[in-house]
Amino acid sequence: MTTHRTPARTSPARRAARAAVAASGWLALAATLLPDGSVPRWPPVLLFVCLGPGLALLHPQPRGLRPGARLESFALAAPLSLALASLAATVLFLLGAFSVPAFLVPLAAFTTVAALLPGLPLPAATRGAAGPARERG
Amino acid sequence: MPQQHQEAAVPAGTAAPDRADPADRAVRAPRRTGSALTWLTPALLVLGLGLWGASLPLTDFRTMADYGLLDRLPPVFYASLAVLTAGFLVALRRAGTAPVWPSAYCAGLLVALKAGPAVLYDAVRYPWASKHDAVVTTLLGTGELRPHAALSGNMSAYDQWPGFFTLNAALVRAFGVESTAAYLNWAPIVLGLVLIPVLVLLYRTFTEDWRLVWTAVWIFQLANWVGQDYLAPQGLAYVLHLTVLAVVLRHFVRPGSAGRLRDRTALDPAAATVPPATTTRQRAVGVLVLSPLILAVNAIHQLTPVMLCVVLAALCLTRRYRNLGLLAVTGLIMLAWDLTMGRPLFLETLGTLKESLGRLTQNSRAGYAGQLTGPGPELAGRAAIAMALAVVLCAGIAVLVRRRLTRSALPLLLASAAPVPLFAVNDYGGEMLFRVYLFGLPGAAFFAAAALLPAAAGARRSHAARVRRRLAAVALPAVLLVLTAGFLPAYYGKDAMYYTPPAESALVTRAIDRIPEGGLLLATSGSFPQALHRYDRVEHWWFCEQELPENEKMLADPARYLADRLPPGTAAHVVLTRTQDVYTAGEGLLPPGGFALLRDRLKASPLFRVVEERPYGIVLAYTPPTTTPGGAS
Repeated sequence: MTTHRTPARTSPARRAARAAVAASGWLALAATLLPDGSVPRWPPVLLFVCLGPGLALLHPQPRGLRPGARLESFALAAPLSLALASLAATVLFLLGAFSVPAFLVPLAAFTTVAALLPGLPLPAATRGAAGPARERG
Repeated sequence: MPQQHQEAAVPAGTAAPDRADPADRAVRAPRRTGSALTWLTPALLVLGLGLWGASLPLTDFRTMADYGLLDRLPPVFYASLAVLTAGFLVALRRAGTAPVWPSAYCAGLLVALKAGPAVLYDAVRYPWASKHDAVVTTLLGTGELRPHAALSGNMSAYDQWPGFFTLNAALVRAFGVESTAAYLNWAPIVLGLVLIPVLVLLYRTFTEDWRLVWTAVWIFQLANWVGQDYLAPQGLAYVLHLTVLAVVLRHFVRPGSAGRLRDRTALDPAAATVPPATTTRQRAVGVLVLSPLILAVNAIHQLTPVMLCVVLAALCLTRRYRNLGLLAVTGLIMLAWDLTMGRPLFLETLGTLKESLGRLTQNSRAGYAGQLTGPGPELAGRAAIAMALAVVLCAGIAVLVRRRLTRSALPLLLASAAPVPLFAVNDYGGEMLFRVYLFGLPGAAFFAAAALLPAAAGARRSHAARVRRRLAAVALPAVLLVLTAGFLPAYYGKDAMYYTPPAESALVTRAIDRIPEGGLLLATSGSFPQALHRYDRVEHWWFCEQELPENEKMLADPARYLADRLPPGTAAHVVLTRTQDVYTAGEGLLPPGGFALLRDRLKASPLFRVVEERPYGIVLAYTPPTTTPGGAS
C-alpha cells in the first residue's frame, strides 16, 4: 500500500472547520440561555448533539482524511455523536444529576479536546479502505 | 458532498478500464445529452419538491375515513412522487461523477414520503409515540431512573433501557420546549437523514457502482413502510446497529481471508474488492472504538442488541469476518446490561421463553391479536405483504443470477438473513415480524437493486447483455413506481388510527387527571394518545388486548365482566374514544359494531356512571354496589 503524501500542515480552511467543531458545544450551551421555546435555540443544540462529538472524534486526522475515508467519517459522525449524547444523558439520570449544563458542558469539553487531538485510528481514516484504492503517490 | 471530491479527484483514464465505475461508463454519451442531464436533474428535483409542497394545503387529513390518508392525498402529491422518481433515474446516469444529485433525490424522497404528517398534523402521529412522550415527561418529572419500580403494564422497562428517553429528555430541556410533542413527528426525517449515509457506507463496501448504491438506498426507503422510525428507541438503535455493522464490514477483515475476492477478474463488474485486512491490534482498537456504540445500543433498546449479536455471530460463519473477540465483547456488554439495568424484564422474558420457543406461526404474526378489518387496514396489510414479497423476489433473482456479486457481498446477505430464526424464539408483543423485516431490509434492498441494474453497463457487448440492459431500462422505473404505489397504502392506509384530534387527547388528559393516585384507567387498547399520561401514578388495563373470543365473551355483559375483575376498592375510570373505536375495529380486536355496543352497555349499566361525554369520547367511573356481600372478586 502506498503512503499518503498529503502535507501534514493543516490548511486555513481545515483549521477553521476544526475550530468550529471545537466551539460548537459552547455555542449550543450559549443558545440554551435564550428564552424557552425560542426557535434560535434549536439549530445549534440539534447540530451539536447530532454531529459535534462525532466530527471531533473522526475528522482531525494529522494528514487529513483520504478521499475514500471522507464518506466514512461523514456517515459515522452522527451515530457516534448520538450514542455519546445518549450515554451521557443516561449516566446523569442514573445519578439523579441531570440538568442542561450538566449534559452539555461535559459533551462540549469532550468535543473541544477531541477536536484538538488526532482523530480515532480507524484504519480507513488513514489508508482509504472506504472504496476503490485510488492512491496516488 | 465528500464523495463528489473523491470521484472528481480521479483524473480521467487513471483507472484501468475494467475498474472504471460502471456509472461513469454508462454516461459516455454525446455531449448534448450530458448537458441536458445537467439541467434536467436539478429541475426535476425542484419541480418534484415544489409539487409536494403544493400538495400539502390540499391534503384534508381531518376528514380521514376508511382509507386513512391515502384518499386524502391530492393528485399533485402522486405527481410529485412520479417526478422525483423520474428525476432520480436521470440523476442515476451521472451517479459516478455527480453523486450529489442522487443523494439529494434520496433526501427529497424521504421528505416527500414522510414529512407530510410532520407539517400537517396538529397532533402526534402514532398513539404509541405519545407513550414515549409520556415516558420522557415522567423522567423529567422524577429526575431519575427507576428501573426496578415495577410499574403497571411493564412501563418500568422504559427505565431499564432508557438511553433514547434520557437523550430526548435532554433535548426537551435544551430546546426549552414543554415535551417531545413539539418535534416528535419529525423523527422519521431526522432518523432517515442520519441513516442514509450509513446505508451508503454499507453498500459502498460491496460495490463500486454508485448507481447500485443509490438505487438500493431508494428501494430501502420505499420498502421501509414498517413505521419503526418514529420517535421510538428502536429507530435510533437500528441506526446504531447498522453503524456497528458498517464499521465491522469495513475494518474487521481478517488477514489472508480475501482469496480471489481481490481478483477483479473473479468479481462481478459492479462489486468492490474486499476491504484491506486489519491486524489483530487494529481490530482490538476497532473493538474499543465500537464499544460506546454497542453500549449505547444496549442502553437504548432491548431487542436490537440481540439482533446485533445474531448478526455478528452470522458473520463469524465467514472466514473474512470470524471475529470471535468482537462477538464476545458484544455479548458480554449485552449480558452485563441485561443482568443489571434490565434485570426485571430480562428475567421475566427468560421465564416466558419456554412457552414461546418454537411457536413459529404465533411468533411471526403481526399485531397482538385479531385480523386487520376495514378497507384501509386490509389494503395496508395486503400492500405491505406485496411490498415485502416484491423486494424479496427481486433480491432472490439477484442472488441467483449475479452469483459473483452474491459471493463478494455474502456478509451483507448473511447479516440480513440472520435475524429470521428469531421467529422461533419470541413474538415480541406481535412486533417480531416487523423487526425481522426491518433488519433484513438493508441486504434485501441491495440485492433487489442489483437485480434491476444490469451487471456492467458497457462492459460486455454480447446480445444477452444488451437484452438485459434493455430489460433493466424498463424494469427499473417500473419496479420503483410499483414500490412507490405499494408504500403509500402500507404507510398511510391506517392513518385514521394514527391521527387523533387534539380535543380528543385533551379529553383523555382530563380523564386521567381526575383519577386519584393508585387508581385504575380502563380502555379497550392502549393505542390512543395520552393513554400513558401519569403512568407512574395511575395503573392501566387495556381490556380488549386479548384474543377475539374472550372479547366476544366480554361484550355479552361488559359492565359485569369488568367489575368482576377490578381489585376491590379501586377507583376505576373507563375511557372510550373515537381512536380506540377505529383501532379495535381496524385491528380486529372487536367484531363490527362491538365498540358501540360496549359503549352503550357500559353507559346503561348501573355499575358505571358517565363523568364526561363528547362526540369523540366518553369517560365513565366505576360505582361499586354498596350492598354486595362478597365484594368484587
